[in-house]
Order: sequence, then C-alpha cells, then structure tokens
Amino acid sequence: MKDAIKVRILQGDPIIHDVRNVQFPARYRGLPSIEAKSCVDGCSACSDICPTNAIALNPVRINLGKCVFCPQCEESCPEKIIHFTNDYHISANSKEQLIVTQETKSISPEKASSKIRKYFGKSLKLRQVSAGGCNGCELELNALSNVNFDMGRYGIEFVASPRHADGIVITGPITKNMANATSICFEAVPNPKIIILVGACAISGGIFQNSEEIQRQFLKENNIDLYIPGCPPHPLTFINGLLDWLDAR
Amino acid sequence: MISLQVQNNQSFDLSEIPFLTKENFRNSVLEGLTNGFRMIGLTPIKKEKPERLIAILADASSSMIHLIGGEYDKTNLQFESFANTFPQTNYFECELSEKYGYLPRNNPWLRPVRKQNVIVGNQPYQFYKLEGEEVHEVAVGPIHAGIIEPGHFRFQCHGELVYNLEINLGYQHRGVEELLLRSKPVQKIILSESIAGDTVIGHTYAHCSAIESLSDTQISLRAQVIRSIAEETERIAMHLSGLGGVANDIGFALVSSSYGRLRTLAINSLALLCGSRFGRGLFVYGGVRYDFTDGIIEGVLANLQIIKNDVAVINEYLFSSIGALARFDNTGVVSKELATQIGLVGLAARSCGIEEDARIHFPYSAYRYNPVSEITLSSGDVFARVRLRALEIEESIRFVIDQFENFPDGDIKSVVEKTNPHKGVVSIVEGWRGEIVHTVFTDEQGNLSQYKIKDPSFNNWYGLSLALRKTAISDFPLCNKSFDLSYAGHDL
Repeated sequence: MKDAIKVRILQGDPIIHDVRNVQFPARYRGLPSIEAKSCVDGCSACSDICPTNAIALNPVRINLGKCVFCPQCEESCPEKIIHFTNDYHISANSKEQLIVTQETKSISPEKASSKIRKYFGKSLKLRQVSAGGCNGCELELNALSNVNFDMGRYGIEFVASPRHADGIVITGPITKNMANATSICFEAVPNPKIIILVGACAISGGIFQNSEEIQRQFLKENNIDLYIPGCPPHPLTFINGLLDWLDAR
Repeated sequence: MISLQVQNNQSFDLSEIPFLTKENFRNSVLEGLTNGFRMIGLTPIKKEKPERLIAILADASSSMIHLIGGEYDKTNLQFESFANTFPQTNYFECELSEKYGYLPRNNPWLRPVRKQNVIVGNQPYQFYKLEGEEVHEVAVGPIHAGIIEPGHFRFQCHGELVYNLEINLGYQHRGVEELLLRSKPVQKIILSESIAGDTVIGHTYAHCSAIESLSDTQISLRAQVIRSIAEETERIAMHLSGLGGVANDIGFALVSSSYGRLRTLAINSLALLCGSRFGRGLFVYGGVRYDFTDGIIEGVLANLQIIKNDVAVINEYLFSSIGALARFDNTGVVSKELATQIGLVGLAARSCGIEEDARIHFPYSAYRYNPVSEITLSSGDVFARVRLRALEIEESIRFVIDQFENFPDGDIKSVVEKTNPHKGVVSIVEGWRGEIVHTVFTDEQGNLSQYKIKDPSFNNWYGLSLALRKTAISDFPLCNKSFDLSYAGHDL
C-alpha cells in the first residue's frame, strides 16, 4: 500500500489541461508557412527534393496530405520562403484545406453537420484499423489514452469491436493484403458512421504512394470525414481536429 | 569453411564473395552453422540473378560476418533444406522460396511469410490442425481488439491450454525493399524511417551506416555519439512503453499509467533534439541534421533524471507485487537450448541467457569506444523479458548521461559521395528489440541493386509461438506483449 501511494504521488498531475495552447519544442515541425515572396526564376529545388511529391510550384503550395514533415524543402530553398512553424492545429475535413499556400495562416476543419454533432458531439467511439501503418501513427493513437492526453475526458474513445464503434480511423497506405479486411471492418460499423484518415500514408499513400503493394480503392468508394496529417500526427493534432470538427469543448 | 569474412559495416567488393558449387555451398553453410554461427541473411545477389545465392552467417565469438556464395541452375532453383538440423534457417528458406521461387527440398515446414495462404508454385497452404476430442481452434485477426498492427493467429487448443499457435503475417507488406531500390536518396531515408515506426532510429541507423560504408564516408565522432544517444533514448522509450503494456495486460493500472507518463518524457526528449517524438528527421547521410545545444542537453538530462528516479520506485512496486509475479513467473517459457536452435535475437534471447547484443559482439560507430554492459537473465519466461527491459532502461540512462559528460566536439555532418560500384555491405544495429540487419549491394554504376532487411521480429515471432505451448490461452496477451514484436518490420 505504501508503495502504491509513493507511485501515485510521483504521478503528480501529468494531464495537459489546455489542449489548445501547448508550447511545443522549438524544433517541432508543424504547419508550414510560405512567405509571400517570389521564387528565383526557374527554381524547383523544393519540389525536386520533396520525398513525397507534396510540393507544387508557381506559386509554391504544400499538400499536407502528402507531406512527411522532413525539413528538406525548408533546407533547400535558396530564398528561405518555406518555414515549418510550431502550429500543431493542422487537421482538415477536405483535401482542399490541406493545400498550404502563401495565404494560409491556420488550418482547422469546418464544423461537422448538425446531425453528426448531435449524434457524436458528446460521445464518439472509434475503431482503429492499421492497414500497412508502420506503428508510428498507431503509437501516437495509443498515446491518446495515456495520462498526459487522456482523450476519454472528451467522450472520445477507441473500442475493440467495429460493432460498438461510430466510425473507423485508418492508418497506413492500405496494403493489398489489408484492403479486404478494411472494408469488412467498415461494413460492420452501424450507420451513421465516419471515416478518419490519420497520417500521410493513409491520406495519400505518403512515402509508399508508388508502391505496387497498396490498394486504395476503398478510399475512392467512401466519403472521408476528417484528415489528420503528419508523419505521424502528434496526439494533440488528433484531439484538436476532432474537437474542432465536433464543435465539442 | 570457404567464405568472405568481413566486420560489421565493412564494405567489400562483390567479386570477393566466393561462389561455390551447390555441394560446396551446402557444406560451407553447414560447417558454419555447426560452429555455432547464426544465419542473418539468405538472399540472391540481385533479383535478376536468383541463381547466385548468398548465405550470410554471423559469428559472435570473433565478431566476424561470413558471406558464402552458391551457384545454382536458373531453371532449377532447388536446394537441400538446412532446417531439419538447424531450425533457425527455416524462415529464411521460406522467405527465399516465396520471393525468388526456390524450392527447399525436404523443408520441414514450408509456410507463407508475407503472401496470404499460398506457398511456392501457388500451392495452397494448409494451417496446422489439431484433431481429437475437446479440441478446438481459435482464430484471431488480422484486425485485433486494440490499436495494434494486423496479423492472423491460429491457436489449436485443448481446453484452456494452447497446443500450437501458428502466426500468419504479411498484412503490412508495403514493398519497402523494392521501393528502396528504385527511389531517390532523399526518399530512402524516409523509407528507412518507416520500416518500423517504433524503431525509427534503429533502422535508419543501419541504413545510413550501410550507405556511408558503400561511399567511404567517415562520420565525425560527435555525430556518432548523437546517433547512439538517440538509439538509447529510443530504447528507453520503447522499453517503458512495453513495461506499461505488460502492466496493462495484467490489469495493473497505476503501474501501467506511470510507465506511460515516463515514456512521454523519453520521446519528448527526442522531440527536443529533432522535433519528432520518434526521431524522424534526425539522420542524414554523413551524420545527423540536428546538434545538441546546452539548453537541449539540460532538458534531456532533466527528463532522464525523472525517469531514473521514478522508474526505480515503480519497478520496486511492480516486482514486489505477488499478483504480478504470479502472472510473470514461469509463463511463456523458452529454454536457452530452444532459443539457440530457433535463433532468437535481442531481448528475447538475452532473457533466455544467450549473450547476444550487436552493440557488444558486432560493435559499430560510438559503441566501439563507449561500450554498454551486456545484461542477461536465465529463466526465459515473461518475468525475465519484463525484468530485462527494466534493467536495460537503467543501463541506457547510464550510457546517455556518460556521453553528455564526455561529449566530443566537431562537425555533425560529413560530405557524402555516391555509393561505389559493385560493392556490398552488411550493416548490423542493435535496435531495442534486437538485431537489425541491412544487407546492401550495388551494381556497376554504383546504384543499389539489392536491399535486404532483417528485423529482429523476423527471428522472434516463432519464439512467441513456441512460448505459448502448454500455456493457457488467457496468457497470450501477456506473452505477446513481453516479446513486443513488430508486424511492419517483419512484413516490410
């Protein structure tokens, strides 16, 4: 008993109370900002070096759905117009929102429909499906239930069975070998149901977009409700994305 | 025995590998295995030349890696299996068979590695099946009840006891090795960071060391030390994560959440250094991208101090709890003899009393000058695997603090030239799970022509199967977590 109390006292109060405003490490790479400067004529350094073809030119645009947040574009730009900021609020509910331009100052998903908010605003149960995920995204999703992030306080939890879930969270580029299991799992979720894509691999195939071993048909056939970019996304990006979308706080 | 002997990360010309006749190849490999060498690779020199087979054996006693080449008939890719005498080679033979069409004759158990339910020649694969009264089968997966990667498990049970567990993987197969061959250098590092997202540092370390050896690049001492600090921080973080998982599986919530809290501190230390909680973006060819500043060292040391202090108290509580020990002791036992036969590696091997740690037996970069202590336990059960992780956390913290006290000055990045033509290298790293091997060959232009990755999970999944024999099926989650194996690293 004495040992238990000692352990509990050490635990202290580790929870992050204000998930909206957390000071991230200086080197953390969140929302990129693109300065309103013009590029050197004919320069394509950033898009040439980007490992996931996330950058379009004239003017420079970064697709966060593909971005793996390596800082190679930032390093390669002769004019230093790309800069990764500390902003971890980068979830979106449309692919268009994921395109960062010179005008982009912040990203947050639009509110979900009133029906979704009414159904899931106070309680959302999710089933996670790892479909070729490398275990990076999975670890961060697991971290959501630890004592620091404690997502359960907002009524959002991961459940064991798709039958008990209100939607699925997909990580990984969806391998051929997981394509069937992924759609069977989604079928097992009762209506109304949502799909959340977590990480560059799930959203665009990421670094595996040119692999012959992936099969992304499922994503074409179904409506995607929320995109959480990152490689892997920070747990707070996930929490804030959901809270903004459900308008729950 | 006839072989090319090299050290870890020592590049060699491909023409130095002796290519023997089928018979001499077999005899040489058998001689090595009889001498106690461990198989760490079995792969053709390249996809287009499957008939030129290379076996790679590791000799821990001399710290040497042996490469033995064998010349086969392209129209008749068959060889006599080694697995009847040396079960450790079985899964390598299965992989070779699946990827390149080889038929290992008289192989005791030819099974799929990454494909679903088929073996060589598109033959359907039959799962092992137990028959008799009161016998039943439990099939689980690919999707499990939790946030965990997919895999299919079939338990043949008699009542509560598991008689046989067959593990069928491959659901995470993304074609990493193929992509590594045909991608740009900037993509290769990102790919190696994504082989197993829980072992970012381990795999990227092996990848960068391999490329640097192939291009004759010297890494500064400071960069080497930063890499090893990152490696040990990853080990601390994942061991804490594993201990938390084990505590969770026995319903010990206070302990589980406490380890979880400390893991956050460990991975946040990596984020202080490189911005990513998993160490993504830290490695570049020729060194590291980010240096330690005084402020970052202070932050990391403060975190490590809390971990060191708190882990001692939490360990005391966990390992003196009768309830926990009752679950750990004698559960999921793998004997030293069995572990040696099937070629277990890493923490699973060390908890059976096998001295197996690449940082000591195949030392690389900073570990050549700053050794770590090898820790082994002998009971081979869940207790040993859990206890070992607790002990390794202490040792890794000791190592990191030592590095900060004697931090060498210097640049953190060297210039890297193109990889040399017609060369090869075997790069071994001791990830937190165990031995990671990247074997890389280049062609006449110096482009990568073969890339073979061996994650420690490739060896150890079979260990989990055997640990479950005669064990209650309800102990499966606990045994599984005590091995803590990777699906993505196995499936590639």
